[in-house]
Amino acid sequence: MRSPSDPEAAGWGGGVAAEGAAARYLQKNVDVIRLVLAKGLSERGVVIKRMDEAAGDEGVKRLSWRLLQERPGASTGVFIYVPPRTKLSAPLSACFAVDKGAQEVHNVVAIGEGSSVTLFSTCVSAGEGVSHSGFTEIYLGEGAELDLVMIHGWTKRTEVTAETAVLAGEGARFNELYLAFRSPANLTSRVKVVAGRGASALASTLYVAGGGSSTLETHVELAEGASAEVISRVVVARGAAVRQPITIEAKGEGARGHIECRSLKLDPRSTVETVPALRSLHGEAQLTHEAAIGKISQEELEYLTSKGFSEDEAVALLVRGFLELGVRSLPPALKPQVEALLNLISRSARG
Amino acid sequence: MPLLVLENLHVRVGSLEIVKGVSLEIDAGEVHLLFGPNGSGKSTLLRAIMGLPSYVVSRGRILFDGRDVSALRAHERARLGIALMHQNPRPVSVRFGQLVAEMSRRYGQRPDVIGKLGLDGLLDRELFRGFSGGEMKRAELALVLLQRPRLALLDEPDSGVDLPSLRVVGSVINELASGGVAVLLVTHTGLIAEHIERVRRTHVMVGGRLVASGDLHEILERLREGGYDAFA
Repeated sequence: MRSPSDPEAAGWGGGVAAEGAAARYLQKNVDVIRLVLAKGLSERGVVIKRMDEAAGDEGVKRLSWRLLQERPGASTGVFIYVPPRTKLSAPLSACFAVDKGAQEVHNVVAIGEGSSVTLFSTCVSAGEGVSHSGFTEIYLGEGAELDLVMIHGWTKRTEVTAETAVLAGEGARFNELYLAFRSPANLTSRVKVVAGRGASALASTLYVAGGGSSTLETHVELAEGASAEVISRVVVARGAAVRQPITIEAKGEGARGHIECRSLKLDPRSTVETVPALRSLHGEAQLTHEAAIGKISQEELEYLTSKGFSEDEAVALLVRGFLELGVRSLPPALKPQVEALLNLISRSARG
Repeated sequence: MPLLVLENLHVRVGSLEIVKGVSLEIDAGEVHLLFGPNGSGKSTLLRAIMGLPSYVVSRGRILFDGRDVSALRAHERARLGIALMHQNPRPVSVRFGQLVAEMSRRYGQRPDVIGKLGLDGLLDRELFRGFSGGEMKRAELALVLLQRPRLALLDEPDSGVDLPSLRVVGSVINELASGGVAVLLVTHTGLIAEHIERVRRTHVMVGGRLVASGDLHEILERLREGGYDAFA
């Protein structure tokens, strides 16, 4: 039964939750209020644990703070382990909610070789003057596949720092969709992906900033034969300022990378700066980028009004379309959640 | 009472007057064709009837079902039952399937027309991006049908389409007319005419004015013989 203080039940994340999850972790402030693993998964060797309890395990110690600089204050969080050759059809779900003080979490996710997992992660705040710092280290074994959908929804006076580091083994596939539908006062997000030989990464960011200041940094390193696509769609409104440095670095022969950044300005006060950078340390690498910053086209608005949509409705449709068209790949299990969020964004864009 | 009445309509785009005193009446279920050379004001006339903001009615009136709609905005006219099939729409940043879903909801219409017009394969695509000429016309026509219009303004539905698509477009227009929808159709070539069962009246527009109105075959004959100069 859901407790009255349950952030999911209270609809903090826009009412979005991963129904039918194989495992569910829910942390509010520093308290873990739900930790559930579906029947039979424990026998298959799947582990989901509070980080403060897992931290003593030798295996966890070997993985902790190896990809990120250690933060002594980040003692809570979740540890997820999926053993080799395990295909999980239902997603794993982790939710972090804060409505008081500072929440600082450290997560470690380890997916064994040849395994296939979908992870749905939600970070939300309620109230004002709170902060969330999330540090997540992800290890993908050889040929492992991870679809990671991260949803963020913040109240206006929240301070957010999020760092994610991914080490993808040979032939692994990492597919990340980061969707933020309410921006905080200040947000710094850093994602670093090291893609091993023949690994592939798709990092998509859909970010709607209705104020505040945000930096969304992505850095991808590609080994021989690895490939990456970094796609970003940013909507800025109400004086928001967003900066996006994105780098793909090709370190091996035959590495391929592409950056696509598009931004939509809904008002003249907002600013957005995209800084795509390509670095090739090998002559045979193929790296490309495209970037565009624009406002809603008058022609597109007129077209939609001729179909019976008021100007506000047309803007909402175009914002939704702008974001939706940036989604290249979506795990079917999470399609309803992402659809629901796009609808929420669409409604809020109407003002 | 005619469904659409244009009374001495003048339309400005910026400081330029494009349409100069057009008067026209169309009843429910009638199909009217509008010929004219490039730049004669045909598309401007349709866009002004639709109420697109760049097309300003500087004089005259547009009556729809007896009501002066000249001051209404485009979306308000669309909701009354006026639909515009755009000529060569540029890509719109909306997934085609999303727009179909939104319009189905708004107009209470099942989206069966998408399958009927062979458009299922385009639903996940950005609207009009990379669409062929025929796909674009069929998609626009589908969106017009989803609006359940009473007046369909069709801007060159026969340009840039292959013969099979042309037949499809023609049969849809016939269905619209037999269902009581009034159709005002702009064409350069008249190719669509042979696929339309009954054209009520044909008009010729030159230099922003209607210079002739009459029977389709008579107009076509004059056009073949002397081009638009025959109407000067």
